[in-house]
Amino acid sequence: MMKDIARELRAPLSPPLSASFNGRVMAAVRRMPRHSRFRLWSRLTTPRTVTVIPLSWGLLAASLALFAIIGATRAFDDVRTATKPIVTALFPSSRVPEAPQRVQFVLVAPDAKKVAVVGDFNGWDAGHASYQAQHRGGGVWSVTAPVPVGHHRYSFVVDDSVWVADPTAPRVVDNDFGVANSAIVVQEQK
Amino acid sequence: MEGSSDGVIVARVLRGDAEVFRVLVERYRDRYARYAFHMLGNREDAEEALQDAFTRAYRSLSRCEEPERFGAWLFRILVNRCRTLGSRRGRRSRTFVVDEVAILEAAEDHPADRNAWREEIDRALQQLRADQREAFLLKYVEDMGYEEMSQLTGVGVSALKMRVMRACDRLRELLSEVHSA
Repeated sequence: MMKDIARELRAPLSPPLSASFNGRVMAAVRRMPRHSRFRLWSRLTTPRTVTVIPLSWGLLAASLALFAIIGATRAFDDVRTATKPIVTALFPSSRVPEAPQRVQFVLVAPDAKKVAVVGDFNGWDAGHASYQAQHRGGGVWSVTAPVPVGHHRYSFVVDDSVWVADPTAPRVVDNDFGVANSAIVVQEQK
Repeated sequence: MEGSSDGVIVARVLRGDAEVFRVLVERYRDRYARYAFHMLGNREDAEEALQDAFTRAYRSLSRCEEPERFGAWLFRILVNRCRTLGSRRGRRSRTFVVDEVAILEAAEDHPADRNAWREEIDRALQQLRADQREAFLLKYVEDMGYEEMSQLTGVGVSALKMRVMRACDRLRELLSEVHSA
């Protein structure tokens, strides 16, 4: 009987999805920012025809001459700035670099099998061992992890696929992917 | 682009050519609509889940680690969307009393008719627990192995086998009741 049932269920959806389905998906896609991760690399590596105007060679030569003059004047500045590390070594500042602070992240996700925290402080790596949340019961997931002092963006990744902004934190739009991330300001504890 | 591999299309979309994403939509929509329909039990929810899966996939495309296996990655997103929508729908429908036998018998206008048999299967499928229905569909309709199912769902192999077995038992029970009536 199971094989009969499976055979029936494998049949295509009848009637099939409407033709407008593709249009609806693509309309939603067009509303999102375009991906551009490889746009610059692609422009540099894809063969294309280039038209050269004689005047452009003159402009190019003039630009190179200008850069050479600016470079020569900057050389004096470089000598002066190069001595700075020596001065710093001889007379070290009393200021100690601020240590990362322990921050607790909490998400209520009753249906989740796995929750991780990603952010600019861990390279947006959902597999980072220090940022894996533990289930504390009742659908509450939390992790306490080190975050450097400063302004950061972060998000939760549920079941390795769904990005969820922290409902308790302010939102900020990530211009790369149009994903609303959460914002956090970590201050040094006195 | 229709004949290109998933990896080639994904790479082109990532370069900024969003319109090529339509090829992936066309490639996977019908097969995955079938799964969403069986999981959710109605076309509106199925279309919503599928559209949501496609748009989420586009938005996160740069995080697709194996572009050549875009279809499998998309399916994983869809399975999660169906779970979310299914649980939301479950909360909506809890106010109704479900009399399984009455529902199944009411559908039996022409038992010999193929469409009636299909309707009986669809209704019986919706009587299963969501986790058992998911396991049954992945095993018998999507033709997956248990290891693959385990990777997809995050559920252990032995638990999946148990779910499939219980789903089969329940389907036999429900569909036998209709035939013996």
